[in-house]
Amino acid sequence: MFEAHLLSIVTFLPLATGVVLLLGSLFVQWSGGGGLPQSVWRGVALASTTFTFLVSLLLFSGFDVSDPGYQFVEHAPWLPAWGIDYFVGIDGISLFLVLLTTFLMPVVLLASWNDVEDSVGSYVFFMLFLETGMLGAFVSLNLFQFYVFWEVMLIPMYFIIGIWGGPRRVYAAVKFFLFTMVGSLLMLVAMLVVYSLTWEQAGALGFNLVVPPGTDGPALLSTVIPVNDPTWWKNQDWLFAAFALAFAIKVPMVPLHTWLPDAHVEAPTAGSVVLAGVLLKMGTYGFLRFALPLFPDAAVTFTPVLLGLAVVGIVYGSLVAMVQPDVKKLVAYSSVAHLGFVMLGIFALNTTGLNGAVLQMVNHGLSTGALFLLVGMLYARRHTRLIEQFGGIAKPMPVFAAFFGLVTMSSIGLPGLNGFVGEFLILVGIYFASPLVAVIATSGVVLAAAYMLWMFRRIMFGPLENPENLGLLDLDWREKLVMVLMAVPIVGIGLYPDPLLRRIEPSVVELQRVVEARSVVAVADEASPETTDDSGEEAP
Amino acid sequence: MIPEVLNLHVLAPIGFVGIGSMVVLLLEVFLSRSDSFLGRKVDDRLVGSLLAGVSMFFLFLALAVACQAFAAGNAEVFNPQHPLVRLDAFSSLATALIAGGALLSCALAIYYLDALHINRGEYYALLLLATAGMMTMVAAVDFLAIFLGLELMSIPVYALAGFDRRRLRSNESAMKYFLIGSFASAVLLYGVALLYGATGSTSLLVLGAAFDPSNPLAMIGIALVLVGFGFKISAVPFHQWTPDVYEGAPSSVTAFMSVAVKTAAVAALLRVLGLGLGGEESVLVGVLWGLAVLTMVVGNLMAVIQDNVKRLLAYSSIGHAGYMLVGIVAGSIEGWSAVMFYLVAYLFMNLGAFGVVIVLANRGEDCERVDSFAGLARTRPGLAALMTLFLVALTGIPPTVGFFAKFSIFMAAVNAGFVGLAIIGVLMSAVSVYYYLRIPVLMYMREPSGEAPRLATSTGEVFVLALCAVAVLYLGVFPNGAELPVMDWARTSVGTLFQ
Repeated sequence: MFEAHLLSIVTFLPLATGVVLLLGSLFVQWSGGGGLPQSVWRGVALASTTFTFLVSLLLFSGFDVSDPGYQFVEHAPWLPAWGIDYFVGIDGISLFLVLLTTFLMPVVLLASWNDVEDSVGSYVFFMLFLETGMLGAFVSLNLFQFYVFWEVMLIPMYFIIGIWGGPRRVYAAVKFFLFTMVGSLLMLVAMLVVYSLTWEQAGALGFNLVVPPGTDGPALLSTVIPVNDPTWWKNQDWLFAAFALAFAIKVPMVPLHTWLPDAHVEAPTAGSVVLAGVLLKMGTYGFLRFALPLFPDAAVTFTPVLLGLAVVGIVYGSLVAMVQPDVKKLVAYSSVAHLGFVMLGIFALNTTGLNGAVLQMVNHGLSTGALFLLVGMLYARRHTRLIEQFGGIAKPMPVFAAFFGLVTMSSIGLPGLNGFVGEFLILVGIYFASPLVAVIATSGVVLAAAYMLWMFRRIMFGPLENPENLGLLDLDWREKLVMVLMAVPIVGIGLYPDPLLRRIEPSVVELQRVVEARSVVAVADEASPETTDDSGEEAP
Repeated sequence: MIPEVLNLHVLAPIGFVGIGSMVVLLLEVFLSRSDSFLGRKVDDRLVGSLLAGVSMFFLFLALAVACQAFAAGNAEVFNPQHPLVRLDAFSSLATALIAGGALLSCALAIYYLDALHINRGEYYALLLLATAGMMTMVAAVDFLAIFLGLELMSIPVYALAGFDRRRLRSNESAMKYFLIGSFASAVLLYGVALLYGATGSTSLLVLGAAFDPSNPLAMIGIALVLVGFGFKISAVPFHQWTPDVYEGAPSSVTAFMSVAVKTAAVAALLRVLGLGLGGEESVLVGVLWGLAVLTMVVGNLMAVIQDNVKRLLAYSSIGHAGYMLVGIVAGSIEGWSAVMFYLVAYLFMNLGAFGVVIVLANRGEDCERVDSFAGLARTRPGLAALMTLFLVALTGIPPTVGFFAKFSIFMAAVNAGFVGLAIIGVLMSAVSVYYYLRIPVLMYMREPSGEAPRLATSTGEVFVLALCAVAVLYLGVFPNGAELPVMDWARTSVGTLFQ
């Protein structure tokens, strides 16, 4: 029971906790009290998310390195008439994103213990709801189910930004919601087209990515999606464009990134951490899991465009980050640049690049998450995030400065810390694909060092002139605990990335195999039996 | 001479509701002349609750009969020698929906009418009469019966719209609705006359076979019929009355109209298209396509600039009519069952949203401005959460029933090859995010302003809101669960139109 439903337990435990807390609170209110006390909400949520993380570690330990396919698979009919199933499973690509999510959640709840004073109950409920939404999207192997979780995530995030955010929170929340919604609704139409193609070809309805074990039925990955069908909307190019738009907004890629700085700056610290740490990865993960394998030929067609936009994102994001007076905005723009690197790794379309991209997704979640946590700690003390207000902070806050330095180095990609491994793999991968892009992207690494170190210097060193900074308290034990927790994987992955790469690589190789096998153009060119063996329906 | 087989039981739902309206009228006279009833002093409040209870009882009977007829699955015709009304899976599902909508509107009205000091017995009698008209309309298989039902529905609703007779707005609303509504009825009737001229029959069962698209008379006739229905489902460009009437009418009437009238009109339209013109719908696809696009675009765009909640919901209901038209255009059994499912979803989401507006009505006046929702999450957190749920459902975001409703509509459209229509539809859904989310923004992200909303909530209102919330969430996760396979029901009901 427990073993067989491990993924479902990890996914739904947070939401279940939230619902139990909500019902408990209603019951207390009904019987005359004023709802559950804040400490109960916080404590139970922290305990539950910690427990979720511990359970998710079983996914890591039980993960079979030799199996490149989906593991911990669960399958149950949901709407059988439409081929919509509850179908979950993870491979090396999603495993670490699941772990990242379950790891960040308790850390964030601990970090925001004192941040949120207002309606703590709703805040905790939305955070738990959000965690289930994110995990559900990462483990879904049914496109419809993925879409449901993808949309479900919006609601809690919208409220977290809109209720507990900064002065322009409403604007930021609505912008975030609208941007994401437009993209995802167009993806919905493209999804329906793929679905009707499956129906035409297989004679049965199905949204499953692959055929669930022990059943028969259509799978999206055995559906041939034409490249030059006379009906324009059946072609890969259009369908890929619709999927790519949804994912590119979430990544975000220039020029669709404008919601990100607003959302990050206005969101409360916990919201920023989750947004940067996990939500942005939904976009890159969507490319890897759905857009690439479903529309391989269109992906190749669009590669120059996407690579171009990614490089522009790296350079533009870095340059804009450099001139930001607000630390949080600086970190937000650095995210644009970092995710540009991830996109480069994905569309290098080779094993090294893809490995690096998956690893860098995790790394960015850790280092940018940690940066947002640190900025939040600074903000809690001084209620400003303007760099010019600081200077010489290292004197009153040495521990803070040490952690800030470590995380800054990780974000820059200093060897020995996590950022280096991912960035290096991506650059090697993209060099094989396009040396020119690699050269420009490398300038992004230099720029990242420039804006991060410059920011670090202006905040930490120099004379301690501002009288308000004289009496700043260093981190208390709770904040120290939070930062130690974040530092462990940052250093750990940097020194010994092998446990991750060993699990990521087989799945990446498998992904490449699927992409090659599904490529209609390649089949037409080579007409070799080897490339068609796993998708029997393909006809030239 | 009475024929031997009359199948009177086919009329049972209509009959129960009709009898109910008479009982309510008589009971009101009886009550208003006595000082005490069952040991309680007779006042407006007691009369209102009692009459609402009686109405709900009769509506429940109709609902039960309709459900039973649906479960039995027969198609029985009243007076087989000259069929006017047929109780089959389609009409029984539509009847059940209408009865359910009317029942919930009754429960919402009790306290509200009292708060507005317009607690009169005629309210429930008119509501029941209109409901009987709707049931006739959806069960009709003859244009004459459709027209009869349409008028029996419309005239009481005109009166209901002006029920708050001391308020200018309400009078204006009734007047506008009456003028435009009777014009629409006349257009419809004219279309029926032309169709009769072209085919020699008013029966939908005969009309379909005799319909000849090359005959201009028949084409003009069907166009006029479509215009008539366009008014009733408030499709653009026949929608202008909707915002004014929705705004002016008492909120409980608006709730009833937006749910039951729309269900009746859409179901009757499906009936006409399915039975009467089954083979010829290709002629109409282009027209319906245009109507669907216009309705979605205008409804959703106009809703963005509204400051009045009832006007906002009016334009949103126009937008939803547009989505339903998309399903109608898709044409297949899939598209039409999606429309039926949409009607089920719409019943719960929209009644829920109007329910909150009704609960917020202050003594003597409506809580109408969008601004009056500001800070509601602080003063009435439960109500704010429910409103958010219903608005999220109307937007079509999972895990609510609104998502599956929209999804099934767009799926049918794509499968039928109407990808352009689906793209316009989803873009307009994205627009709707903006105006629906304005209200949660105000409720959760702004401080309360002005006078506090009333704090008491009556049992009826709690019941309706709870039921709608549970339905919206349950059907949002299990739209076709083992116990409540609503999607299968929709498919079964529509199946009778394709025979």
